[in-house]
Amino acid sequence: MRLHSLTLRNFRGVKDRTVRLPALGTTVVVGDNEVGKSSLVEAFGLIFDLPDDSKSTRIRDIQPVGQDVAPEVTAELTLGGRELTYTKRWLKNRVTELAIVDPDGRRTAWTGREAHNEAERLFHDNVDPVLWQTLMVSQGQSLILPTPADAEPLITAVTAESGTPVDGASMPLVSAVEHEYLRYWTRGGRATGDFAKSEKAVAAAELQAAQALKAMEEVQQDIRRAERLTLDLADVDSRLADHLTTVEEVRERKQATDEILLRRDTVRSKAETARARLVNHTRTREERERLLDEVERFTKIDAELAERRTDADTVAKAAAETVQAAEAALTEVIELKDMRRTDVQDAERRVSHLVDQAELERLVGQQTELIDVRARIVTAAAILDKIKVDDGLFAALEDARAAVVEARAALAAGVPEVVVRRLGAEPVELSGKGVEAAQRARVPKELGFDETAELLVSGELVVGVPGQVEVTVRAGGEAATLRSRVDEAVRREKELLKKAGVKDVAAAREQLRKADTASAELQEARRTEKSLTSAGDPGERIAVLTARLGIGADDEDEQSGSKQAAVEGVPGQMSLFEEFVSPLDTLFDDFELPTPPPDDLTGAQRQLDDARAELAGVERLLTEAEFAAAQARKAADEDRSEAQQARARSEIAGERLAAAIDALKAARAVLDDDAVTAAEAEAMAEVEAVLEEFTAVQEQADAAGADQAAGELTDALAVATRMQGERDTLRDALRTTEGRLEQSGRDGMATRRDVAELELAAIRSEHESLRRRAEAARRVYETLGRHRAAAQTKYSEPLQTRIEALGRSVYGPSFKIWLDDDLAVAERELDGVRLPIEALSTGAQEQLAIITRLAISHLVSTGDGSVPVIFDDALGWSDKARLRDMGALLGRAGDHGQVIILTCMPDRYEYVPKATFIKLDG
Amino acid sequence: MDDSITFLHSSDWQLGMLRRFLGPDGQARWGQGRLDAVARIGEVAERTGAAFVVVTGDVFEHNQVERQTILRACEALKRIPVPVVLLPGNHDALEPGSLWTSSQWQAHAPEHVIVLTDTTPIEIVPGVEVVGAPWRSRRPTSDPAAAAYTNLEPAPAGTTRVLLVHGQLLSLSGGMSEVPPIDQAALEAAVAAKKVQYVGLGDRHSTTKVTDRIWFSGTQEVTTPEETDPGNVLKVTVSQSSIEVEPIRVGAWHMVDHHVELFDEESLTALEDWFAELPDKERTYVRLAGDGSLSLPLLSRLDTMIDVQGEAFASVEKWAKFWTVRPAPDAADLDALQLSGPARAAMEELRQALAGGDEGAGVALSLMHRLARDAG
Repeated sequence: MRLHSLTLRNFRGVKDRTVRLPALGTTVVVGDNEVGKSSLVEAFGLIFDLPDDSKSTRIRDIQPVGQDVAPEVTAELTLGGRELTYTKRWLKNRVTELAIVDPDGRRTAWTGREAHNEAERLFHDNVDPVLWQTLMVSQGQSLILPTPADAEPLITAVTAESGTPVDGASMPLVSAVEHEYLRYWTRGGRATGDFAKSEKAVAAAELQAAQALKAMEEVQQDIRRAERLTLDLADVDSRLADHLTTVEEVRERKQATDEILLRRDTVRSKAETARARLVNHTRTREERERLLDEVERFTKIDAELAERRTDADTVAKAAAETVQAAEAALTEVIELKDMRRTDVQDAERRVSHLVDQAELERLVGQQTELIDVRARIVTAAAILDKIKVDDGLFAALEDARAAVVEARAALAAGVPEVVVRRLGAEPVELSGKGVEAAQRARVPKELGFDETAELLVSGELVVGVPGQVEVTVRAGGEAATLRSRVDEAVRREKELLKKAGVKDVAAAREQLRKADTASAELQEARRTEKSLTSAGDPGERIAVLTARLGIGADDEDEQSGSKQAAVEGVPGQMSLFEEFVSPLDTLFDDFELPTPPPDDLTGAQRQLDDARAELAGVERLLTEAEFAAAQARKAADEDRSEAQQARARSEIAGERLAAAIDALKAARAVLDDDAVTAAEAEAMAEVEAVLEEFTAVQEQADAAGADQAAGELTDALAVATRMQGERDTLRDALRTTEGRLEQSGRDGMATRRDVAELELAAIRSEHESLRRRAEAARRVYETLGRHRAAAQTKYSEPLQTRIEALGRSVYGPSFKIWLDDDLAVAERELDGVRLPIEALSTGAQEQLAIITRLAISHLVSTGDGSVPVIFDDALGWSDKARLRDMGALLGRAGDHGQVIILTCMPDRYEYVPKATFIKLDG
Repeated sequence: MDDSITFLHSSDWQLGMLRRFLGPDGQARWGQGRLDAVARIGEVAERTGAAFVVVTGDVFEHNQVERQTILRACEALKRIPVPVVLLPGNHDALEPGSLWTSSQWQAHAPEHVIVLTDTTPIEIVPGVEVVGAPWRSRRPTSDPAAAAYTNLEPAPAGTTRVLLVHGQLLSLSGGMSEVPPIDQAALEAAVAAKKVQYVGLGDRHSTTKVTDRIWFSGTQEVTTPEETDPGNVLKVTVSQSSIEVEPIRVGAWHMVDHHVELFDEESLTALEDWFAELPDKERTYVRLAGDGSLSLPLLSRLDTMIDVQGEAFASVEKWAKFWTVRPAPDAADLDALQLSGPARAAMEELRQALAGGDEGAGVALSLMHRLARDAG
């Protein structure tokens, strides 16, 4: 379909306007708001939809407000290859006129309802309503993405392009399969509907059947239990009857033996009385014997204690003597110790004397060495005083020598060298001043024959052959300067040699060597002197020691003598301390008078060590003597205490003995000893007589089994009671079980179980049938879905490719889209980011909606079903850059079909190339 | 002088029995049918002048049947105008909790009904003694009939004695019974020794003659298709010297096994005709065994047929163990649907899967075929 022109008269705000549209290309219809742009679209729809006599409110709505005029629309268009001119006027003077020119030029015209019907038929035959609605974007609808799957021209186009037939005829089957699938499954694959209910019903029925089965099994168990209980009850009844017979027999036997037992009890009572009397007499006799024993025992104890008291007194006295002896021994050892200490002190003094003597000898030697050293110091100092050359002066001399050599060398280089040789017989005379001799020669006054003189001339040289020739050689100005430097250097050297008191540098070097030797000698001697006097002046110490050693040897002898006297007078040994006294004796036995003191230090030191060892031995003896004395004192104290206790015990024993004698006397006053013995013997005889009688009765009871009879009866009765209890328990259990069975019979448990199992089987069967159908539905759904998806992917490719091609001109090469089953764009990927359409910005969504429509238009443009693409106010959300790209796209779209854009914002479309702009005035 | 006596022999009423293959409605009708058959025994007794009726075991399905079953049984028994002797069998043994000792039974049992609780002979009518061996446990450890005849003296002169026992004979059970069988030779010996003149047996559901004087009456109403001659009551006319036994039908239900081979439209039509000719459809259970293969339209038609017949009959079932009818779709089936594109490809995939032995694919293919046909 192509729209060529639209004429509106009395249509909303438009009084009379005709808009002509190019059949191909993009047309932008520009007009302000309310000028009637949207009315063009609306008018085109109404002319085909509503007959001229329509009472629709849509007609009333288009009549200009307040004007009794008839809205009228005329459209010129190409439809199905025919040219149509179609006019319709509503409300007043209604008119419908249709004129058609066929491709072959044949013209046909209709009016009235026929015209309407023919126009409507032609429209419906040639315009796919879905495609028409898809490509005509009303105001405010530009964001809606098209879903063109049902647009036949598009399907035809993609089918033709993809080569994949889209089986429209299968769609009812697809719906039916999906419907069947959804009867059993949710889209997520979970059981639903009757199938899900069936699963639950199976579970419930299984539970119910299991419960019923369990209840019936309990009934069966009860039956078995009741059978068993019946048998057990019969058995226990039988055994109980037998046992009760036994009980009666035991009871009769017991009655027969009860008389014997009564008699035995009487005799037993008599025996107990006699035994009590015997006990009393026996107790009296034992008391008498105890009194007699007590008197005897205390008498013996009293005697023993008296003897022990005497012994204790003796021991105490001996102990006191022992203490005295120990203390005497202790005193002796103390004195011995004092003597030994004196010996040690003497030995120490001798050692000290010998040490002083040795020190004095060493100091004398040291003083001699000191005198020698001091003489060397004086000698060295005198040498040093004589020598004037030191290191500084010697260095200056060497420098001065070098300066002379250096100046002379410069002079030799800077002045002329004259070589004179006598060749003939005539004398050659040489004279002049400032003539420097070379190393080889002095200036001779006259040269001999064939003699040669080589001379450096720094001043003036006259060479003459008397009478014949005289040659004067004069040096230049520089030679004079060099000459003066040499002179200065020589003068400086002489001054320094004079100062050093030597004739040349070699003599100065010798002087310097001698000075170094003397200086080293001086330093070494001074170090020795310092060392020898480091501990003070040896002379002072020699004086001290000489004074100290001036003591005579007689004094030492006197001291030794006094020591010896002090050692004498050691006390003798003590009898009670043999252990202690024995080593003491040895000590005194070995004691000898001291030998003369040794003269050497080693001997004196050894004597000192010996004396100290002896002192230590005596000190150990003293410790032992002190311990022995303490022990003796302690033992004496204990013996004294023991003697006191023995005295006290002896007194107590005497008191007890007296008391025992008094008690025995009192008892005998009541009954003498013989009477006590006789009474006990009499009681004993009585007891023996009664026991003999008791034994006879007991033998009778034993023979009759009297004692066992009571026990047997008790045991038998207990067994009977237990068996009766067992029987009662069984009977109760049987009654309880039978009661349960009676109840289960009333409840019809078996029927319940059968019903439950039948219901379960029926529900399972039904469920299995449902499951098979559900699985079949799923199998079909999935299989068909898989094949559809594959086909969908293939046949949607042309549209997808077209959209992506257009989109890449706007978004760049990374632009991709995915279509859903309705061929609507579902997702977009840009720069690797894939998003659902809903997640895109408003502008992007609108751009994608426009691109999709242009792609659809492009696809269908070659077919008969193509329709114009109409945008009523779009691109309201795009920025400048996007407007440029989208404008280019809209312009290119016009190459393939009719694109009509209605807008009040022409700026948005200024980038549409080759567009026809139509301005609508108000 | 004719000393013969006529009585009726029945057994295995198994009142309270349920059948898996019947729906709730069929179940109720079948249960009532078994009671109706009991009532018809009463009519036969009246018609034949029978002096009494004996039922040789398994009167009830369980000892724990529901109260309604007991009460309805009592009502059915009241419709028998002569004395009725009931023998406890393995299903309703005289065990603890037995139905026979329950207050429900004792309160409602008609007075003319006697339950044998021991082996003491009872003179049921003058000149006729009935003696039986009631089961005391469901699992006896020895011949369940022996107690009744072992110590039995020959019948007094002029007395006809009827022995009632319940259990299987080794010759008929093939040794498949879980409990000890009845000693057939001993029974025949008792008959030969004139201790009894007739032995009424129960437990076998088909009417079966063992000897002239030893019979299984069979159940009054069929219970499974395997039973060969159920639904009878035996009219027994017996004397010391003669015996006459006549099965009289009292059952109204049928249980039928039917095998078909299905491979084309004619075979399906033949099956339809077979269904059409069966009488008493509402009281008939059909168990179908089938072999063969059918195209998808025919398979769909078969399923529809079975569904429809299942409504008309008490029940129509495919006998799963013997049902091997398979779909056999061919390209013509698919072409007939005029499908193309993905739908055609999907069906083709399922068809090939079926050809490869995928049973699930066959069911799916049938469904898809039906959906396509209905949608088309």
